[in-house]
Amino acid sequence: MTPAVTSVAETNAIPPRGRKMQRPLLDRIAEASGWNVVAIALGTIALALIYGPLIWLGVMSFSAEPLSGKPYPLTFAHYGLLFSNDKWHAPFVKSVVLGLVVALACMIVGTFLARALVRLKRPGGVLFVALLPLFVPGLTIGAALFIFLRTTLDLRLGMWSLFIGHMVWAFPFALLLILIVTIRFDVKLIQAAEDLGAKPLRCFLDIELPLLMPGISGAGIFSFLLSFNELLRSTFLRGSETTMPVYNWAMASAQQSQVPIVFSLSTLILAVTLPLMGGLFFMLFARK
Amino acid sequence: MTALALSSSPRRRWRLPGTATGWFTGWFLVMWIGVVVLPLLIISAFSFFSMRQYQIVYDPTFATWTSLVETGRWVVVLRTIRFAVSVTFLEILVAFPFALWLAKGCRSAAVRAGVITLLTIPFFIDASSRIIVWRSILGTNGVVNNLLVGSGLIDKPLTWLLYSDFSVSFGMFGSYFPTAVFPIFLTLSLIDDDLIKASADLGASRLQTLRHVILPLAMPGIVGGIVFTFVPLMAAWIEPQLLGGGQVNLLGQSIQSALTNLNYPVAAALSTIVIAVLVLMLAALVVSLRGRFKMSSLFQSLDR
Repeated sequence: MTPAVTSVAETNAIPPRGRKMQRPLLDRIAEASGWNVVAIALGTIALALIYGPLIWLGVMSFSAEPLSGKPYPLTFAHYGLLFSNDKWHAPFVKSVVLGLVVALACMIVGTFLARALVRLKRPGGVLFVALLPLFVPGLTIGAALFIFLRTTLDLRLGMWSLFIGHMVWAFPFALLLILIVTIRFDVKLIQAAEDLGAKPLRCFLDIELPLLMPGISGAGIFSFLLSFNELLRSTFLRGSETTMPVYNWAMASAQQSQVPIVFSLSTLILAVTLPLMGGLFFMLFARK
Repeated sequence: MTALALSSSPRRRWRLPGTATGWFTGWFLVMWIGVVVLPLLIISAFSFFSMRQYQIVYDPTFATWTSLVETGRWVVVLRTIRFAVSVTFLEILVAFPFALWLAKGCRSAAVRAGVITLLTIPFFIDASSRIIVWRSILGTNGVVNNLLVGSGLIDKPLTWLLYSDFSVSFGMFGSYFPTAVFPIFLTLSLIDDDLIKASADLGASRLQTLRHVILPLAMPGIVGGIVFTFVPLMAAWIEPQLLGGGQVNLLGQSIQSALTNLNYPVAAALSTIVIAVLVLMLAALVVSLRGRFKMSSLFQSLDR
């Protein structure tokens, strides 16, 4: 509870001390002053459960025996192996290209849809359908798309079906990010431009698009990262293609000797993406 | 606040140029229903078909559903529900106080932005490398056992830490914590501080304020948090596969293995269970949101 609230509650505490003791136990527990600490402690533990393993992943990528619990003796051997091994190159390139295509598609479709949504009288229904994949578990939509495309339509799966699966995953996030800027967009700017004789397309390209750009480019980066790391849908929709997460998964789940390489590779990818995402998100959320 | 004021004025919608709004929305809806809703309907329909010599027989039957009971697969369903319920319960128990602190207790905007950032990043991280590292933490030679044995608290390594119900729940908890916090945080930060102050001014205790003011207003967020945790947990696959070590068989693995064995009706029936849970939960969410939803208020918490 906020400090402001407690102070008001305290100044208004009419019952004398003697009566306060007779209040129900739950009330007295709620009145205790340690709740902020409890909440922070709980949240910190939960966040530690997320970030602890990531740090440990980095540490163990230097360990001689990554699946043991001891980081020492330290070694660069896995990084050496990683750079001499070229099996991960093709999946890496595929994931990058697919991520770029998904990002571009999300940016374009997301911009048009977000602009349309703020103009609709009742955007709720369209928004609900657009955001629906957020609620559907990856495995379920992956299996559903597999049965639809492979079994019902009898199509040959490949990069195109991966693209559909990744769009379904990344697009709702991209749309939300672009919606933030389209909702904030000041309509008076367009009205002013129109009064000065600008055509709708001019208005869009010269006024609206530059102002929406932070959201659109953010959506692009996040869709790329979502696609780049997508595993659940990819396992069903990949046909005979192998993307980076699918490669990692194969190495991790088969308990093969390649696991050390996966640790190093994931650490390198994290070392690039974590600061990037951290900075971007912080700017996005901290901005007034 | 400005966003709210703007979108509630009716002039906003009609004064703008109508560049690609109507037809685009229509086109998008058709495409999106084609790749999201239609596949979900088709997979549900598949559970009423059967297989003969690796060919689908398009003849409605309940054979697949009855076989789920006969082959004992319903035990897997019950086990998955048990996991999903207990992990979701824990998530909400931890997420609610944390979200309350984040929305109302946290005074520093920078700290709040930092925490939101930390909660968002896991969406963008490769799941298998994040989960597999638990093996080296919880394993018999892992960090925890090394520390416990080293400090003399136990004589020999604990074996139930890894490849057990415990390790699977543990991995799940970390994976779905952010999705539990976000909806609750969003609705809590939409609650006007004046309401909480008014409640205290009228002499309500903190417990009364929590029960009669905060909880009812936060209900859509709590339901949302449950939806975002419970539904994906019903189809969790990575955690049981990597941390269960073959000991913990859940719905996700059954769906995956049925698909790999080309047993489409069984995979479809098991997926349909997940979809049914999803539909029920979404209905609950829609009911709890009824009349309270404003698109612009969705981001208000970020605008402050």
